[in-house]
Amino acid sequence: MTDKTFDIVIVGAGIVGATLARELSAYSLRVAVIDKASDIPSGASRANSAMIHAGYDDQPGTIKADFCPIGNRLYHELAAPLDFTLKECGSYVCGFDDDDRIHLEKLLEQGRANRVPGLEIISGETLRRREPYASGDITHALRAPTGAVINNFEAVLAFIDNAQQNGVELFLETELKDLLLSADGAEVVGVATNRGRLFAPVVVNAAGVYSDLVARMAGDDSFFIRPTRGEYYIMDKRIGSLVNSFFFACPTPKGKGITVAPTAENNLLIGPTSIVQPGRDDTSTTADGLAEVIDGARRLIPSIPLNMAITAFSGLRANPDTKDFIVNVLERPLGFVNAAGIKSPGFTSAPAIACHLVELMKDRLAKRISFIPDPTFIPERKHTPRFEMLSLEEKRRLAEADPRYAQIVCRCEMVTEGQIVEAITRGARTVAAVKIWTRAGAGRCQGGFCGPRVVDILARELGVSCEEITRHGGHSRYLVGKTKDYWFRGEN
Amino acid sequence: MADMQVDVAIIGAGPAGVAAGIGAREAGAEDVLVLERDWDLGGILQQCIHPGFGLHAFKEELTGPEYMHRWIERAHKAGVAFLTNSMVFKMESDGSLWVMNPEKGVFHVTAKATVLAMGCRERPLGAINVPGSRPSGIFTAGTAQRFVNMEGYMPGHRTVILGSGDIGLIMARRLVWEGARVEGVFELMPWAGGLRRNIAQCLNDYGIPFYLSQTVIQVHGRDRLEGVTVAGVDEKRRPVAGTERYIACDCLLLAVGLIPENELSRMAGVDIHAATGGPVLNEFYQTSRPSIFAAGNVVIVYDLADWVSQEGVAAGRNAALYAAGILEKPVRRIEVRGGRNVRLFSPQNIVGSGDVTVYFRVLRPIEKRCRIFAEPGLFERRQRYVRPGEMNEIHLKGAALQALPETVTTITLDAEEV
Repeated sequence: MTDKTFDIVIVGAGIVGATLARELSAYSLRVAVIDKASDIPSGASRANSAMIHAGYDDQPGTIKADFCPIGNRLYHELAAPLDFTLKECGSYVCGFDDDDRIHLEKLLEQGRANRVPGLEIISGETLRRREPYASGDITHALRAPTGAVINNFEAVLAFIDNAQQNGVELFLETELKDLLLSADGAEVVGVATNRGRLFAPVVVNAAGVYSDLVARMAGDDSFFIRPTRGEYYIMDKRIGSLVNSFFFACPTPKGKGITVAPTAENNLLIGPTSIVQPGRDDTSTTADGLAEVIDGARRLIPSIPLNMAITAFSGLRANPDTKDFIVNVLERPLGFVNAAGIKSPGFTSAPAIACHLVELMKDRLAKRISFIPDPTFIPERKHTPRFEMLSLEEKRRLAEADPRYAQIVCRCEMVTEGQIVEAITRGARTVAAVKIWTRAGAGRCQGGFCGPRVVDILARELGVSCEEITRHGGHSRYLVGKTKDYWFRGEN
Repeated sequence: MADMQVDVAIIGAGPAGVAAGIGAREAGAEDVLVLERDWDLGGILQQCIHPGFGLHAFKEELTGPEYMHRWIERAHKAGVAFLTNSMVFKMESDGSLWVMNPEKGVFHVTAKATVLAMGCRERPLGAINVPGSRPSGIFTAGTAQRFVNMEGYMPGHRTVILGSGDIGLIMARRLVWEGARVEGVFELMPWAGGLRRNIAQCLNDYGIPFYLSQTVIQVHGRDRLEGVTVAGVDEKRRPVAGTERYIACDCLLLAVGLIPENELSRMAGVDIHAATGGPVLNEFYQTSRPSIFAAGNVVIVYDLADWVSQEGVAAGRNAALYAAGILEKPVRRIEVRGGRNVRLFSPQNIVGSGDVTVYFRVLRPIEKRCRIFAEPGLFERRQRYVRPGEMNEIHLKGAALQALPETVTTITLDAEEV
């Protein structure tokens, strides 16, 4: 890549970078988003609870408390035009004794102060009438009807995709190496990456678990990130209906604790743990962590069967020592913007943070970039068709229009070749990216049957050999060579 | 696309489905249609290029593709119709099917009787709770088998195999033939999962180490698999501290069990047996929905394809008789139950008046003189051993069943030392 010039470079294509890019794409600005991963979302936006929080958790007066309910409303408004899956399921915070009851009252008050609609405390009996599998030990529960679950993959793709339609450029496998400053260090002039330099008067730090390291490049050492691991299980869709709503236990100082939730696709998601760790990309699961997940989940829903697990994963939260989001524009170097430490409810708050950042930049960086609305801005986009979710008639129409939509590749999630080809056309380059776009391989057999077919289709559409296809970029090649090859290469 | 009406519709063209087609035609069904989601017929046997098939059905040793070729030829001669690339995505409770394929789009198939022959799938890593990272290089043994035998690609250079199911054993040998190293086969249980002959021919003959009561407890590597940690386990299958060791490898194959694939059966409201994961059947291969029949690994995982074919023929025949309205009517209902050492068995109930064969697996091996039997006093046979990896057959005579007093409503299968 040769050097390029933009108005704004956003570092990180997680939900914060994605929502901001889409917000900025409504103006006549040249915007670049860089991410070191091969497919998006990566990092915390990929591996999280996929919860759109109602907003009662956060102390009134914090940035979180302001942004969370607004973010919640924005997701509800944007789900249709941006075509991502949002499931209105509501949430319960469950209490097990009198102390918890007091805590629930406090959450209720807090939520009302944060202007969260519809909150109420119900008895354990009422809860179990609505949710028959809820534990008999639950005495009270705080109901929040605006709590929702989202397909977090689709949401990040939707914002980025729409931003790209409106002219934003996305650079994957592009890692920030340094911040470029003016000779006196007073102003931002761009970024140096592994693939060349991008010049811009404004650089936004949306680097998630790396955001403190990026801030250091600007001389900002006002916060640091403690990567906090959260481990999860995904369970088979067959038990997705064990709960209708998102279940929390009363929060502890460590966090919101283990939750049990239906996903947007009707799997059951249980987790996360909360373990601070030094590594910023070690997303291994651990035996202890997974055991804690099961124990925590069974406290809420005792009948969860372990043999229905289809996979386990872990994510790293960008947990800041400041306890609140870091959303600001630095005075020096001018042009450096932080959207850092966006921990829970970070995913929920992101669209609100994006709107706020645009206003902040208009106010503080007007001399560096001008915000002129772009009259050609298109506020909506379509995802690839979700074949499984279509009605019989819609399936029939799609299959007749393009026979590739009548060719099932992933049996478990009913993903057609048409969807996979479309995902590749729209940027998917790896087996993981195809899964993120289409859910091929996300089902109960975890790619056992469709893996070889997906590799084949990727190779065909990209015009490369199957051996070059990776699972998730980098050195993650799916296959190591052709049969017979080795004997001739004498590698044994 | 025009919807279709047939006498017998069969889902799946593996060994069970192809045989069911033949059975149905031979029993007089006019229109017999087999729907296959893959682009070729033969099911998983297409990729099983090792010998060992046909010893019972043809009295000679064939490879998987050769074995299926014979059955497919026979089916074509018998007038069975096939549709490939055709995915059944929905099944109604009357057994009618919603299907789609690239040529015909979405269409509806109604049948007087339907045979479930979808086979089974492999248990993935997530289902067995191995912690660690999620790099590339982890495959189920069957996926690796497809890559090596059909696509011509290698899944890795240095392989660890977790689980001693037959596909894993076959793949251990296959990878050695292809020049890869196999560091060992690790089995959680204190006994082998696969057939004894495969342990001998695939592991022992090639000096591949086989470790019982050991398992993989951690996966390492961020992009590509770099190694696994294995450890011994105690009698409750928990890792024993101090026994951990690291094995460098770039490939982990899983042969940790097969699960009958019954998503369509559930959609149709067919009763599923808690232990087998397959439909509850009577000896006519009939499910709880009378017009829906089932055969092969969709019911219970068999050791040999020969047996699956044999069951398929019988299920197809009964489906044809049902379609013609001449299947024997139930005369009584006897529940089959497993004794202390039996969990997996089929059929689960007996309703007719004829002879019945019941298949079952033991939970724990007995490596000495023992007997397999059906109480009360219906069958007994002495054996030198029974093993979980090897299925047992019990033959019940129709006359003996008829002679049971009305008060007897259950039969118990078991195996014990003598």
